[in-house]
Amino acid sequence: MSRSNLHPLSMLRRGARGRIARVSRDLTSRAERLAAMGVSAGATVTVLQTFPGIVFECDQTELTVERMVARSILVELE
Amino acid sequence: MSCPHAVADLRPRPLLRLRAHPLKIALVGNPNVGKSVIFGRLTGRYVTVSNYPGTTVAVTRGRALVGAEVCDIIDTPGVNALEGPLSEDEKVTRDLILGGGAELVVQVADARNLRRALMLTAQIAQFRLPMILVLNMIDEAHARGVDLDAAGLAAELGIPVIEAVAPDGRGLPELRDALATPGLVRSGGDDGPSHLAWAEQTTRRFRTVGPMSLGRCQEWLGRAVREPLTGVPILCLVLYLTYLFVGVLGAQTLVGLLEDTVFGTYINPWATAAAAHIPLPLARDFLVGQYGLITMGLTYAIAIVLPVVTTFFLLFGFLEDSGYIPRLAIFSDRLFRAMGLNGRAVLPMVLGLGCDTMATMTTRILATPKERLIAILLLALGVPCSAQLATIMGILGGISFAALVTLFAVVLGQMVLVGFLASLVLTGARSDFIMELPPMRLPRFRNLMTKTRLRVRWYLGEAVPLFLVGTVLLFALDRVGALAWIAAVARPLVTGLLGLPPKAAEIFVMGFLRRDYGAAGLFLMARDGGLTHVQAVVALTVMTLFVPCVANFLMIVKERGLRTGLAILSFVTLIAVGTGAALNAALRMFHVTF
Repeated sequence: MSRSNLHPLSMLRRGARGRIARVSRDLTSRAERLAAMGVSAGATVTVLQTFPGIVFECDQTELTVERMVARSILVELE
Repeated sequence: MSCPHAVADLRPRPLLRLRAHPLKIALVGNPNVGKSVIFGRLTGRYVTVSNYPGTTVAVTRGRALVGAEVCDIIDTPGVNALEGPLSEDEKVTRDLILGGGAELVVQVADARNLRRALMLTAQIAQFRLPMILVLNMIDEAHARGVDLDAAGLAAELGIPVIEAVAPDGRGLPELRDALATPGLVRSGGDDGPSHLAWAEQTTRRFRTVGPMSLGRCQEWLGRAVREPLTGVPILCLVLYLTYLFVGVLGAQTLVGLLEDTVFGTYINPWATAAAAHIPLPLARDFLVGQYGLITMGLTYAIAIVLPVVTTFFLLFGFLEDSGYIPRLAIFSDRLFRAMGLNGRAVLPMVLGLGCDTMATMTTRILATPKERLIAILLLALGVPCSAQLATIMGILGGISFAALVTLFAVVLGQMVLVGFLASLVLTGARSDFIMELPPMRLPRFRNLMTKTRLRVRWYLGEAVPLFLVGTVLLFALDRVGALAWIAAVARPLVTGLLGLPPKAAEIFVMGFLRRDYGAAGLFLMARDGGLTHVQAVVALTVMTLFVPCVANFLMIVKERGLRTGLAILSFVTLIAVGTGAALNAALRMFHVTF
């Protein structure tokens, strides 16, 4: 697969499906917190809604995150 | 008396090992997976069960018979992780396990999301405690096309793995049997990232995901409530139905029935007649006088507040169990971010409508101390609890819709303003908004009834005595002339600044005890024509902005310390009076009459 297929979750449209390629790590513990909710490399995601908040399904679980958080989740589209 | 060991030796030997104390079994798992339901099933004790993460924020203990042995079952707050950064409710669980408070861990997991469950399994396994894994909500997992190989998983992990549907009792007998034969987890990855890889790999081996057979209705409803186009009208509808059920049926129809018929026609005249036989005038007044225990205390508590509280708890329980409340976080995230919080805060705020004291404890689900402090402050300042909401609707509903809107707009505006300023003044960070949305479900009738019954009983046990104490206090103050003195001292404030009749001072004294009690006083005063419409709006606004009740104040002190408690109390009182004065001036300046 080409690299151009990687997109941050915040840029995806409703209905987009894919697999999480990685969650960027920063100084905060965001990646760990997301991993504990099941959001980590390898998990499949489907975007359900993009406004007013981002809602997506990850491993049969519905999650909602703010845009800032969605930016650090990189998804490889199907 | 004889020593306990001798007594123990005389008893028939239990099937299991004899212990110095009952075996301590902790129910641990991700939030909202059904730990409390299993706790209730094992112990026969009811703990509040709802459909949102964070219902349980403290440890609950109960006893259960396992085989021939009595065991201690411990229900714990849900955890997303046991290592790394933890919120305060998660720390409660971690500290329990670290402190040796559990000898056996039953991990309760959401069968839909095995990967997430196994991440936690790996972390619990590091404590080297015997374990059992319960895959709960297996029916919902099947509906979503998820199939799990429980036997294979059990063989791989080396611990019993049980499929369950806890509310129906499915899997519970198997769990009871398994409690006697827990195991130590064999594998689990070493640490951090390898936990993840292990969870991923194990999930792939033992889970198959087929096509969904989820009910269309459930899926449609889940989408309808979160999309803005349909979600906003639905929110308005929910608010309107709340008004109809609580404000009209509860606060008007039922209150009218109880107050006029039961108390007005029977109890009060009967009590007055009976009291006429008491030779002591003081005792007579104490029971049925102006500040009488029966004519005032009981009438307020039972006739005015109880019907409203009951209807509210019923509706509220329904919303709690449906999974609707967490979805409000999607809409409110931006607003809360302006106040230094995030969408998660919608949970304690909405719970505050039920009871601010409980909600103050629920702020433990917020991630940082700054967020907790702001949430506690806003709860104390602006969120009216069920009892008070009732009296507000009762009084202002009878005046006009504009009056109701004015009050809520002023209170909400004040909350946003204070929240915004607090987020600037207080140091510390805001946390990321990441939240799980539980599935929408039709609430179970039995849980709804049990929950409402327990909450009403709690109201009768906790609030009614305070009402009576308040009445006695008022009676005493009136007798020694202190009430007149307070009214005289507060006169410039009450009549001058707020433009209220002098008698309102007494009601504010009651409001300090419980603001719904004060509001109930306003309710009667307004109905007897003692308040103009403007006065009613101003008085209720001040009352709503007061600290809710003594219990709430004590809870703030317990959670955040005496200094913070006193600071919040004085700050909130200042804001309440200041806002009332400004509102009074504004309404008069523009000649608003409602």
